Amino acid sequence: MESLILFGLVFVFLFLGVPVAVSLGFASVLVIAIFSHDSVSSVALQLYTAAQNYTLLAIPFFILASSFMSTGGVARRIIRFAIAAVGHVRGGLAIASVFACMLFAALSGSSPATVVAIGSIAIAGMMQAGYTKQFAAGVVANAGTLGILIPPSIVMVVYAAATDVSVGRMFLAGVIPGLLAGFMLMAAIYVNARIKGMAKEPFAGMGEIVESAGSASWGLFLIAIILGGIYGGIFTPTEAASVAAVYAFLIAVFVYRDMGPLKDVAWCNEGESLANAAMRNAVLTLKNSLAVFYHDDTRKVMVDSAKTTLMLMFVIVNALVFAHVLTSENIPQHVTSLMLDAGFTWFTFLIAVNLILLLGGQFMEPSGLLLIVAPVVFPIAVELGVDPIHLGVIMVVNMEIGMVTPPIGLNLFVTSAITGMSMVEVIKAAMPFVCVMFIFLIMVTYIPAISTWLPTMMMGPEIITN
Amino acid sequence: MNKVLTFIDRFEENFIAIVLALMVFISFSQVIARYVFNSGWGGALELTQVLFAWLILFGMSYGIKVGSHIGVDALIRTFPKPVFRFFALFGAGVCIMYGVTLFSAEWLTVFGVESKGGAWYYFSKIYSIGIGMEDIVLPDFFPEALYGGERLPRWIAYLILPVGLVLFVLRSVQAFVAIWKGEREMIIASHEAEELLEEHQKAKEESGEAGSDIDESHTKGGSK
Repeated sequence: MESLILFGLVFVFLFLGVPVAVSLGFASVLVIAIFSHDSVSSVALQLYTAAQNYTLLAIPFFILASSFMSTGGVARRIIRFAIAAVGHVRGGLAIASVFACMLFAALSGSSPATVVAIGSIAIAGMMQAGYTKQFAAGVVANAGTLGILIPPSIVMVVYAAATDVSVGRMFLAGVIPGLLAGFMLMAAIYVNARIKGMAKEPFAGMGEIVESAGSASWGLFLIAIILGGIYGGIFTPTEAASVAAVYAFLIAVFVYRDMGPLKDVAWCNEGESLANAAMRNAVLTLKNSLAVFYHDDTRKVMVDSAKTTLMLMFVIVNALVFAHVLTSENIPQHVTSLMLDAGFTWFTFLIAVNLILLLGGQFMEPSGLLLIVAPVVFPIAVELGVDPIHLGVIMVVNMEIGMVTPPIGLNLFVTSAITGMSMVEVIKAAMPFVCVMFIFLIMVTYIPAISTWLPTMMMGPEIITN
Repeated sequence: MNKVLTFIDRFEENFIAIVLALMVFISFSQVIARYVFNSGWGGALELTQVLFAWLILFGMSYGIKVGSHIGVDALIRTFPKPVFRFFALFGAGVCIMYGVTLFSAEWLTVFGVESKGGAWYYFSKIYSIGIGMEDIVLPDFFPEALYGGERLPRWIAYLILPVGLVLFVLRSVQAFVAIWKGEREMIIASHEAEELLEEHQKAKEESGEAGSDIDESHTKGGSK
């Protein structure tokens, strides 16, 4: 009864234009105030203590690192490298766009950010080379979803926090599925390009590959810091995120010079001797070493990241309050026994999970949805012998597909906005590749080894305690 | 008056930016301290976590002001204009009630519900008990006359809970009035990428003829 009212209130608020976070929070407060003997103080305190979660602390740092890496230049360098590496096969620019999205996903934990960063450059480039706008938009909208699958990923951090699995394991588990999804999209493009006889770029030569790789490597080294740091046992994931944020800041202002006081200052002017340039740069760097901290560009990135953080965290904190009410009313136990009595096996259970998430993903912000669904399905999954890491990857892949399916797919919105196409056109354009993603979802759901093999190999078999 | 408003705007933004910067700085310097100097400060983690709570609880009202809290507008947009306006006001109204109830749930007794507690109640309790933080120790030079204990009193960290909720209610009332007057459409943003796209649009306009507009570059075609 109470659980029906709880869910009912959330849905009513949600669809009548109340912010997601407030819908979750206020429904929980009302249920506690009216049906339970608990004091509302405990709910108010939850708002505060949710922020004490050490795992969630990684989120603002990852957002910050990704903002510094999204200042424009990094995406351009990654695209240049991707084109040099794979542009010369048939359909090369489209394949390079997927590759660029995969690389950018390794720097950023968000899908729409990946679409904006790569799409705004790559779609125009593809159209210049003679690809249709539909094809270009469809490719980027789908490849952009890899942002939350390839580590680092904010959604994975949230899942880890909600279910107490290790963030490091989740990140590792995303690597092979991320690569697989990327290759499947590339293969689909290649087949398509072969049939339609699409353009290929001239081979740029090894020199260009090495040079563009060198230029992109400063940014790509970030992923080495994060993954290497965590698996080398040097940092906790939260510490790794803070190191990544500082590293991204230093690279953006001092090396790439995409922002800050040194913006657009060349490393080496024309006709300048190497010694001169070295001297000039050393002096410039020293002279500006303090100015970078209070420069307007830095302030802007900090404010934007803080804004994104608190928007996301406000949803997460309220979803945690909601999850707290769920568990205190023993709702997960009820649902578990209900589903087990109904004769669910792991096979049918995973179908049910997929359906719930695909539907929910239409209306909810991914992290919020995850926090609501995870406490309910997690105990069932453990009961049915589904690996928690595997379940996490399934959830993330579902979120990805939710972003490219109508009516409310976030990546569809973003793609429609950056290309000026209508929503209907973008939906049609994305459809063929969404089919590829669905095949990928089925593979990930029923072949657990895709997700669990790498973490088990690197970190040993996991111990499930519940 | 306008000067005061710009000052408040700048203050809010600077506050959340500086809190975030401090969080990164403290976490990062802890890593450096551990590996380079083989030392560290016990209170660092607790301080970072308190700052995180402050960022969220202070920032939630700012989110209402700039309209960054996401929600679902697909359904209410299909309604006729006056109904849509009603639900836009309803959204703001629920935000007000949310803040008020969490601050103190006493008012629900009006409906015959036996409810008690809330942020203010909890805060005053912590204040009167006067316990300290777990790890944040006051420096030795701290004047004993001001505060006798050796740890930072815990109510200082919890202060943001009632303050944040009051600010949240104020901003929600402000939004409600703005929607009433027709100056603002809704309290929610329809998706999280709204701002990202606005910025993208701005960058596109700034670069002007640099060819970043996709339609244009298409008609120019094949010059690459």
